[in-house]
Amino acid sequence: MSVGASLAVGQEQLIALLDHTSAVIYMRGLDGRYMLVNRQYERLFGVRREKIVGLTDHDLFPKEVADEFRANDLAAIAEGRPMRLEELAPGEDGPRTYITVKFPLKDAEGRPYAICGISTDITERKRAEDEVRRLNEELEERVRHRTAELEASTRELDAFAYSVSHDLRAPLRSLAGFSEVLLEDYADVLDDTGRGYLRRIEANADRMARMIDDLLDLSRATRVELRRGRVDISGLAWDVVAELRDTYPSRDVEVSVADRLVAQGDAHLIRLVLRNLLGNAWKFTARSTPAVITVEATGPDDGVFAIRDNGAGFDMRYAAKLFDPFQRLHSASDFEGTGVGLAIVSRIVHRHGGRIWAEGEVGNGAAFFFTLTTEPATAEVTA
Amino acid sequence: MMNGGKILLVEDNPDDVMFTIRAFQRNKISNEVVVAHDGAEALEYLLPDDESKALRPALILLDVNLPKVDGLEVLRRIRSHARTAGLPVVVLTTSSEERDIVASYRLGANSFVRKPVIFGEFVDATKVLGVYWLLVNEPAPPWRGED
Repeated sequence: MSVGASLAVGQEQLIALLDHTSAVIYMRGLDGRYMLVNRQYERLFGVRREKIVGLTDHDLFPKEVADEFRANDLAAIAEGRPMRLEELAPGEDGPRTYITVKFPLKDAEGRPYAICGISTDITERKRAEDEVRRLNEELEERVRHRTAELEASTRELDAFAYSVSHDLRAPLRSLAGFSEVLLEDYADVLDDTGRGYLRRIEANADRMARMIDDLLDLSRATRVELRRGRVDISGLAWDVVAELRDTYPSRDVEVSVADRLVAQGDAHLIRLVLRNLLGNAWKFTARSTPAVITVEATGPDDGVFAIRDNGAGFDMRYAAKLFDPFQRLHSASDFEGTGVGLAIVSRIVHRHGGRIWAEGEVGNGAAFFFTLTTEPATAEVTA
Repeated sequence: MMNGGKILLVEDNPDDVMFTIRAFQRNKISNEVVVAHDGAEALEYLLPDDESKALRPALILLDVNLPKVDGLEVLRRIRSHARTAGLPVVVLTTSSEERDIVASYRLGANSFVRKPVIFGEFVDATKVLGVYWLLVNEPAPPWRGED
């Protein structure tokens, strides 16, 4: 096959190729007059190729559109090499967006004599992109809205908690106080039963005050901003144990705390976790001799901490209820408590992104496990 | 020997006024207790227009939540006048909200005490306060020439 023959066939094949692509292809002279268009062009703009030769875009499109095409042609000619740009052209259902590659055709001396364009309709893609953008904006707007709502409700919660801590305790002090005053000033007109009732009023006022305090702790655990840092779990545990020994001097408890337990978190809140868990262990080992409490890390992975005791334990059937506020598995006469402590613990652990669970057996002790990150997050290291 | 000065109790709750006075009596603290029922009244005692009528208590017990002028504002004014800046102020209040504690100390409170619900514990707390501020503590002389 000679070179000439292959070229002659090639030209027809090229035209066929141009006609079977979904892109719009055209060639215009430097003066903007059409030299060639492909079948997709004919189809889209409703002109036959025999009729279009010699016409310009200004004969075919509204002036602004034609002006833009012409300006782009001239830019590509000036550029001297292929240019990629976005163009808008009228379509059946409104303007359509094309991504167009324009490049000048040059003669043997390198002088441009025509401009070629290949335009691909990206309207659908564009619409999809716009839709994604719109949805993103909508989502962001919704997030902003929710955040504002959340902030408002946190502020309300804050104000509520503040008011509770001020206003709800005062009447309790009056209740307890006047009971005491009656006991002191009117002891001789009351019999033992009467005095016993007053003691009960006082004890209940005190119990309610402690419930209020615990609820405030629960609300604080929810609303305070986390101040993350390295937390010496072993050190905190020993601190809390020392507090407990001070509070219950008559108790004799064997405590062992593993050395060098470290986690990342808010030291103040994690102290609250340990105070509640160790406080529970202390309380529920009141009838165990010897009472034994251990604090350790468990498992192959770092970050799982366990507090075990050999106390009263609990029925595993109720394990899930343990962490709900005001759920108590023991009667108040057996072991005192408000039932809020574990809810506080669970709230704090969850806010740290950790998990908490418990294992126990009635009469055979309990173990509480919680997870905390042990490595600082990279963002916090650089911060 | 107790410091014989007066105690200014700034407290709007009449029950708390009664309990506090009773607790002082239980502890044989016989200093005269002057009661201001709101912040404005406290400021009238401490910083009156006519300075010759000013009250210079040995101890101020200050509640935080008060009508008219709140306790923290009273504290700020006490500390911003040389005549009253050196007076011992114990914030004695119901709440132990961190922000109240922080604000009180920022404004120069000498102490922050939360009133216990149980009266017996309140009596004990009052005893410690009375012994410390009226007996152990050496009060500041008036700050002269600064006002």
